[in-house]
Amino acid sequence: MKHTLEMRNIVKRFPGVLASNRVNLTLRAGEIHALLGENGAGKTTLMQILYGFHSMDSGEILIDGERVHLKSPKDAISLGIGMVHQEFMLLQPFSVAENTILGLREGHGPLLDLQGASEKLKELSNRHGLALEPAAKVSSLSVGEQQRVEIVKLLYRDARLLILDEPTAVLTPQEKDRLFVVLRRLRENGRSAVIVTHKLKEVVELADRVTVMRDGQAVATRTIQETSQRELTQLMFGREVSFLADKAQQQPGAPVLEINELRVEDETGRESICGVSLQVHAGEILGIAGIEGNGQSELAAAIVHLQGMKSGRIILNGTDVTNLNVARRRALGISYVPADRRRMGSVVEMSVADNAILGLQRKYTRGLFRSIDDARELARALIARFAIRASSIDAPAGKLSGGNLQKLILGREITRGSGVLIVEQPTRGLDVAAVESVWGELLRARQEGKAILLISAELEELLNLSDRIAVIFEGRIMGIVDPAAASIEQIGRMMAGISAGTTSPTPSAVTEAQHGQIV
Amino acid sequence: MNQTQLMGAAFFVTWLSASLRLAGPVLLAALGETFAEQSGVLNVGIEGTILLGALASFLASYYTGMIWIGVFAAVLVGIAASILLAWFYVTARASQVVAGLVFNVLALGIASAVYRKALGNSSAPESIAVFGTLRIPFISDLPLIGPVLFGQTILFYLTLILVVVAQLVLFRTNFGLALRASGENPAAADSAGISVSRMRYAGTLISGAGAGMAGAYLVLAQVGLFRESIVSGQGFIALGIVIFGRWNPWKAALAALVFGACDALQLSLQIFTLRVPPQLLLALPYVVAIIAVSGLFGGKTAQPAALLVPYVKD
Amino acid sequence: MAKLFERRLTPADSPLAIISRTTAAFLAAMLVAAFLFVSYGAHPLQAYFALFHEPFATLRGFGYTLARASPLALIGLGTIVTWRAGFSYLGFEGCFVLGSTSTAWLALSTASGGRIGHVPFFLFLSIAILFGFVSGGAWAGLVAVMRARFGGNEVLISLMSNYVAIFILQYTVSGPLRAPGSLPETRLLPRTTWLPFILPGTRAHAGILIALAAAGLVWTLLQKMPLGYELIVTGLNPLAARYAGIDVSRRFVLAAFLGGGLGALAGMVEVLGAQHRLMDGISGGMGFVGIIVALLARLNPLAVIPTALLYGGMSVGADAMQRRANIPSSITFILESLLVLLVLASDVLRYYEINASSLWCRSPQTVDGQASE
Repeated sequence: MKHTLEMRNIVKRFPGVLASNRVNLTLRAGEIHALLGENGAGKTTLMQILYGFHSMDSGEILIDGERVHLKSPKDAISLGIGMVHQEFMLLQPFSVAENTILGLREGHGPLLDLQGASEKLKELSNRHGLALEPAAKVSSLSVGEQQRVEIVKLLYRDARLLILDEPTAVLTPQEKDRLFVVLRRLRENGRSAVIVTHKLKEVVELADRVTVMRDGQAVATRTIQETSQRELTQLMFGREVSFLADKAQQQPGAPVLEINELRVEDETGRESICGVSLQVHAGEILGIAGIEGNGQSELAAAIVHLQGMKSGRIILNGTDVTNLNVARRRALGISYVPADRRRMGSVVEMSVADNAILGLQRKYTRGLFRSIDDARELARALIARFAIRASSIDAPAGKLSGGNLQKLILGREITRGSGVLIVEQPTRGLDVAAVESVWGELLRARQEGKAILLISAELEELLNLSDRIAVIFEGRIMGIVDPAAASIEQIGRMMAGISAGTTSPTPSAVTEAQHGQIV
Repeated sequence: MNQTQLMGAAFFVTWLSASLRLAGPVLLAALGETFAEQSGVLNVGIEGTILLGALASFLASYYTGMIWIGVFAAVLVGIAASILLAWFYVTARASQVVAGLVFNVLALGIASAVYRKALGNSSAPESIAVFGTLRIPFISDLPLIGPVLFGQTILFYLTLILVVVAQLVLFRTNFGLALRASGENPAAADSAGISVSRMRYAGTLISGAGAGMAGAYLVLAQVGLFRESIVSGQGFIALGIVIFGRWNPWKAALAALVFGACDALQLSLQIFTLRVPPQLLLALPYVVAIIAVSGLFGGKTAQPAALLVPYVKD
Repeated sequence: MAKLFERRLTPADSPLAIISRTTAAFLAAMLVAAFLFVSYGAHPLQAYFALFHEPFATLRGFGYTLARASPLALIGLGTIVTWRAGFSYLGFEGCFVLGSTSTAWLALSTASGGRIGHVPFFLFLSIAILFGFVSGGAWAGLVAVMRARFGGNEVLISLMSNYVAIFILQYTVSGPLRAPGSLPETRLLPRTTWLPFILPGTRAHAGILIALAAAGLVWTLLQKMPLGYELIVTGLNPLAARYAGIDVSRRFVLAAFLGGGLGALAGMVEVLGAQHRLMDGISGGMGFVGIIVALLARLNPLAVIPTALLYGGMSVGADAMQRRANIPSSITFILESLLVLLVLASDVLRYYEINASSLWCRSPQTVDGQASE
């Protein structure tokens, strides 16, 4: 049987990482195929190669049995491939019709033919069940409707193969259901779709076949009927975890940081955090597990007050800090290592010494003046203690490698003397030696009695370091487990949206159960 | 009508007529600048470009005796100047504010040097023939609206036509759509196959053409001669008009009228003997412009999202 | 195929690269100006000699150079404080004018029969500095408040505020403070308010000392004080600034206040040191040349002094050049701005290198997107 799409032995290397390791993927006409895996598994890279964004180092791509060369998205579009990115490529103040025909040059001479475009749009939207008003401004549409515009753009260009990258990441449960209706209809139409996702329940609900990716490899391909959620979780996460860290048993102290019923809204009004309550004790590492985009960053930002919250309370050492600003919270004892080390955690144009006191500039003073010697002393101490490789403390921090910069920021925040340490993706991009040293520092901080909130997408890290692990999915805590007792599978299921026994199921799960399959 | 009513009517007619006439240059520059800003470029250099255009129109008319050659020369010079500016804004990706600002000083130097060279060191400014007011039979003689609306120069009517053309091109052509996309979301425009650089060059060149023509309007339809101080903030006011007019040619025309009215106020109030210091009225257009862009009236949402942000393609 | 401009892998930022780029820009600017000189029938070297000899090699000329450099340096310092904090303020012409107006008013008030009457010089100077600083600082601070509270565009607001300030000046010298007669200027200020001359035989006045002191203070602020650290962080990375607990809006207002104050001091220095009266046109575009001085000095407070001396000297030399070689003094505007434009242009070479060999080499098309191993 001729496949619509065949990707054979795709290899792609980026500096330092093998993103695609001889990956094979096939797609039939009229099929919805899920590409399942966690962050960094290689799914997006593979699709970007298919869409012509990246070139592959070796391998073949065949469309309808013929070999093709994709040098740019234009080639992909002309072959009938379309992609809906996680961040929409839409012009907000413009109408749906204008967005659709951008760059197409149809119409009479130089003039736009909005009338003709609107008619074609109406016809397309009726045919595929994508209710859209051509004259509506995109900014007035909900996120789900904007996603429909992105899909219609592809259909307008007669795409036979649609790629959707984490399409439900920004949708409400109702919008998600509507999207699935549309996709099923497209499938009946003979078109195919590849859904890149990490959400198991959706894969099971929507896809015909699924390919699981892990660490750049296509681990397995299954037909949905032949497999189970359990098996898929196994495939997604299953591996031997090496317990490298030397974690001493320790009784946690009193709760230092309390988060009560935190609710955070983003600019579109969607709730990114839906009622989270947590407690972090002194001398404890509370890990937050979850695939990126499920509310972790918003949680950290809300605790530090780089983002406002809709409702809820934050209590530090018994004091309600809900209404205090960033500087005050820092002063009262919250340290933060952000995920974006170059754009938030440091000022890359300034020297290493100046970055060592970022956030501490009011403390390192002598009378009216900065105490530059003390700052330099601190920088040197940090370099020594955390084994940071820097050519000089006066060199710009931007010249440091990712790992060394991260160690600088982490060192700064750990040695500040705060009672609470919030750490987000601390070992991303670090080599093994650096990872070990960071882990050692976090455990030492734990021993000294700090309360640590560890947000990480790396399960291994969480299992090694945490005393308890809370799993976050779509802005809610799915459950809190003991890393010693819980299996990777159990945690993985929660990360993928299937609730464990310890907490009640999510509302969307309830809706599914109540309404059954939605056709 | 009694004396007071006659004076009132005279004042009103003079004022309105002067408003329209004075709004011309600022409107022309604003029309061109609308294209630049819609593509994502803030061209602070239009102040200097208007000056160069004014000089070019003066010299060209002076030497050829043909007034339309002056207009043509001004537009050409405006475009040439903006090619240089566009290089800094788009290709070199320099700070748009810095490049434009320094260019204004350069333009002042060039204008001064060229003018002195061309006319020797005579201190009295030479005057040249200007556009006369266009008389349309019957209509120009209507009471009140006759002299106001139909007693303007041909350049004024040309400007009005350009407002219509600008509105059409910007919102009803493929080019306009692609241009606006480059200023709103260059990444999306890029992914749709549009060359953002090319669009931004186009926008800057159009703003140069508009500014050059504005200079011609100043010399050939308003003042009748050239002096180095002929341009004193009209370019910056045009920038304010673009914002006040929400990056839309129609609304820019209305905004320009408001400024023209403020500008004309101090001329027309001379009919009455008022004890108002003239500087107060002279400052009025600028104060109104400040209030217009202070953000008090919101309108940040209408701003092209990628304005002033250089587009870097990896 | 090799392109003419090849993107570098890392920006070329070594001191050698920076110096060679800047030198190339200078030479290019001088070359262009030389062509201009030739077009006026003058010998370029003679013209350059006239341009630079008087202000730097003669005592009298050097005195004028110092006098012209003082306000330029102060405005440059004001630019540095605001721009490095990330606030693109362009209203220094207005601050200058307001500073000179308020100083002149104060000075005239100390004349015999004036409102205040005679005051000893140092007391007067202190009050003048304070008064002038606050007037300029408030003027600029207002713009920052508009930006912070309403999101207004500070570039446009500050540009237009210049004209409003100039009208205030024109009103003042045509009305309340006008000297008898028809010229738009005030009486000569009382001698007791004049800044002392510091170089005998020249008109160099103590303004240069004020500028030097200000340069030292600005340098100390930015390098040695926690407030300066916060301003710099705010300018480099507002997100990281908020992360570090810095209130970005307040820092804008403070930076604007300090910068506007320095701009006003420039006006004070010009009135009390050089002109000794207030007149229409006293600023003469210095508000913008001062910004250019700061840009050429790469926003470094110590480098502002020599750069201000260079530009101050050029304006003195331009007059000399006009007398001797009959070249209009406005050529200096061209030279001054061209220098900065070319330095800006040479910045492109940070990211791209010129691959001259591409002009004649024509390598075959590389294999299509799919590289084979």
